[in-house]
Amino acid sequence: MSTDDLATDISKQTENSPRELLTRTFFFLCAGLSIVTTISIVVLLVTEAAKFFTITAPLMGVTGETASLVDFLTGTTWQINSGEFGVLTLVSATVMITLGSAVIAIPLGVATAIYLSEYASKRARSVLKPALEILAGVPTVVYGFFALIYITPALSVVFPSIGTFNMLSASVVVGVMIIPMVASISEDAMSAVPDELRQAGYGMGATKFDVATGIVVPAALSGIFSSFILALSRAIGETMAVTIAAGSRAQFLNPLNPASFLEGSLPMTAAMVQLLLGDITGGGLAYRSLFAIGLVLFVITLIMNVISDFVAQRYREEY
Amino acid sequence: MATTSDSGEIEGFGQVSRTVGTVFRYLLLAATMFGIVMLGVLLLYVANDAIRPLTADPGWYLVFLLALVVPSAAVGWTVRRRDSEAFNFGTLLVGMLVVSLMFSGGVALLVIDVVPPLVALAYAIGIAVPVGLSVLLTGQAHRISFTPRLAATTALFYLSLFGLPGPVGGALGVPQVVPSLVGAIQSIPVIPVDWMMIAAVVGGGSAAAVGAYAAGIGDRTTGLYAATAAFAATLVAGALGPAVGLGAVPAVVVTAVAFVPTGAYAWRGGFAEEGSPLGLVFAATVVGGALVGALAVDALGFAGPASWVDWGFLTSAHSGTAENAGLYPAIGGSILLMATVAALSFPLGVGAAVYLEEYAPDNALTRFVDVNISNLAGVPSVVYGLLGLGVFVTYLGQSAGTVLVGGATLALLILPIVIISSREAIRSVPSDMRQASYGMGATRWQTVKNVVLPEAFPGILTGTILALGRAIGETAPLIMIGAPNVVFNLPDTLGSKVSAMPLQVYAWSGLFASEDFYTKAVPAGVVVLLAVLLAMNSVAIVLRNKFERTG
Repeated sequence: MSTDDLATDISKQTENSPRELLTRTFFFLCAGLSIVTTISIVVLLVTEAAKFFTITAPLMGVTGETASLVDFLTGTTWQINSGEFGVLTLVSATVMITLGSAVIAIPLGVATAIYLSEYASKRARSVLKPALEILAGVPTVVYGFFALIYITPALSVVFPSIGTFNMLSASVVVGVMIIPMVASISEDAMSAVPDELRQAGYGMGATKFDVATGIVVPAALSGIFSSFILALSRAIGETMAVTIAAGSRAQFLNPLNPASFLEGSLPMTAAMVQLLLGDITGGGLAYRSLFAIGLVLFVITLIMNVISDFVAQRYREEY
Repeated sequence: MATTSDSGEIEGFGQVSRTVGTVFRYLLLAATMFGIVMLGVLLLYVANDAIRPLTADPGWYLVFLLALVVPSAAVGWTVRRRDSEAFNFGTLLVGMLVVSLMFSGGVALLVIDVVPPLVALAYAIGIAVPVGLSVLLTGQAHRISFTPRLAATTALFYLSLFGLPGPVGGALGVPQVVPSLVGAIQSIPVIPVDWMMIAAVVGGGSAAAVGAYAAGIGDRTTGLYAATAAFAATLVAGALGPAVGLGAVPAVVVTAVAFVPTGAYAWRGGFAEEGSPLGLVFAATVVGGALVGALAVDALGFAGPASWVDWGFLTSAHSGTAENAGLYPAIGGSILLMATVAALSFPLGVGAAVYLEEYAPDNALTRFVDVNISNLAGVPSVVYGLLGLGVFVTYLGQSAGTVLVGGATLALLILPIVIISSREAIRSVPSDMRQASYGMGATRWQTVKNVVLPEAFPGILTGTILALGRAIGETAPLIMIGAPNVVFNLPDTLGSKVSAMPLQVYAWSGLFASEDFYTKAVPAGVVVLLAVLLAMNSVAIVLRNKFERTG
């Protein structure tokens, strides 16, 4: 820009000239869109779910079929055709996937984080980190296919009674998928531990093992925990892998019974996909049940995200 | 803490066992490798199912070993020893050729089956003319103030795209008086040959880009020469295309989108200053080896692998039998969806990031937006699908499963990611640069436009491409908004039903579940999807490495 232009601009352009106002408004609206999105999600889920329940439906001015809120929250049968909407069935399946993937992702993720932050050479990091990113970048539908076609047959060698659709293979792939999330957030927390602490440990004669497990991990604990919660919230919301691998028959399973991992069930997200693939007419009971499940899912993941944030902020060691 | 642990006791001092530490270290390494190795094995399996390398003739491998692998390895090794920069350049050049060929396939698909050439030409001119005029207007900025210029630019675009009185008049019942430029072009009596129109649009665009690139290296004359040469190459390709059996339109597109940019990059790296012709030698060996190998196996009659990922798979639609099933409509759908997503999420995401980084006052509202965006990033994709279904389809009355609804839903889904990565890129612009701009009397917008955005652009672009990579793999939101599982035609407007690659893969593995689909169509679909993702991610990573802020 020549000095001439600049001089004109300085005299003409102030913070409130039309151009400044226009651009600032545009940017503000862009940022505001995120709030609009959140509000739309909440309002949509709440109003549609309200039309689903017998208690709240009259408030929404809805007549016709509704479902009991108590049955929804406590029932253990999910049979849309017979009008039984027991969301606990779906929640139990989701809890199983979450537990199963946690068993895989938490130890592996933390170990990866310790390795990357304490042991790996710069060169090894530059290879391993992008490789881990790939784990998170593969589309979940591909993971689902892997679980169904390659992992389940492999598992059936060990567990002959495993079903074609089973929670175990779905948990394995979801676990692998969220390893990078645990690893990268935990590693950030560990890298943030000041070097003085490590040096002090070495100065007192501690080995590298002592420093890693006795100093770095405890100091980074808040970050590590918040990574667990975030990763598990991701596992809860994971859809395609569990839809393809865990099957489509909703049944209430005891999440704490290891044997039930060999059977298939219907996690919340998979139930939503299944509902959509069936014949759904806008406004029907099945359509609204979709939003009721969505609301449960949204509330759970939101709470977990907020807790994760809180843990990271509240228990952070300040150096 | 550490001193009281088992190996740190005072009496044990000096005889610390290294076993625990070593075992721990290798356990950690094993844990790190677990996921990577597992995915690697799975990818090998799926690639084996899809490409079936064992079905190829041993002679086929031998020919490619002799023509491609051995010379490339030898030349590559020599070049790398003498000049590792040249080797990197050569590798990048080959990679660019591969990626741009894939990209040109996508563009060819668009111009052949989605946008009629005349419409494309009309819109290209209809947009180019007002853009040119408003650039001229901007040149007069010291004489005409901003508001009339804005009004004039808006009027120019309106006239060119809609004519007078256009849709506004149409709504009021006023008949069209002045036809729009776009309409006028589309109604010309003499219609040029298809490939010429495509050459004008695609070749023109690519020539302009190459010209600007060359002008950035040399001067204006160089740019002009480069643009002319690029456009001429496109025209020549169109004329020669039918002779080599490629067809004029594909030849034009491949030349304009793949060969011309790669050629420009090769010219810059090989011959311009600080160039390294050695890298060119390496790239030429690889490409030449591949061509020679392909010709040789053809001549000698060695059969390649009977891959399920073949031309038929890429260019045909779904079929009830796995052997004949193809991915074409899904590929086209994914391309259109990505274009829509990029067009929506890029300006909105960057705009939000600019607001939050450059404009926002530090108050409660800003902090709320901040928290809100990170929470939105954690909302499950299936809930975004519900948002699309509930808001766009049920409340706004769009029909289910269209390109527009799918694109808008996916755009909302990746918006938080785009915003977060753009903010990081903007934050990494040193504040000295902003201060210098303000110090010269620039306003906030001028600083953003002239300093912040250009500096942050590579970072923003990288983040956006990675986010698009996320969007292209998403299936659940598309199912939620009612995208059909099987589409036989490419969508040709924003309002037509769309499928996408991951959705097609899901349909095959979930709804057409049979051994046949599991071992043929689905692996092939997975391989294509992963190849596209790999291409997108490597572009992003190359960009990131190239423009990474040093210091």
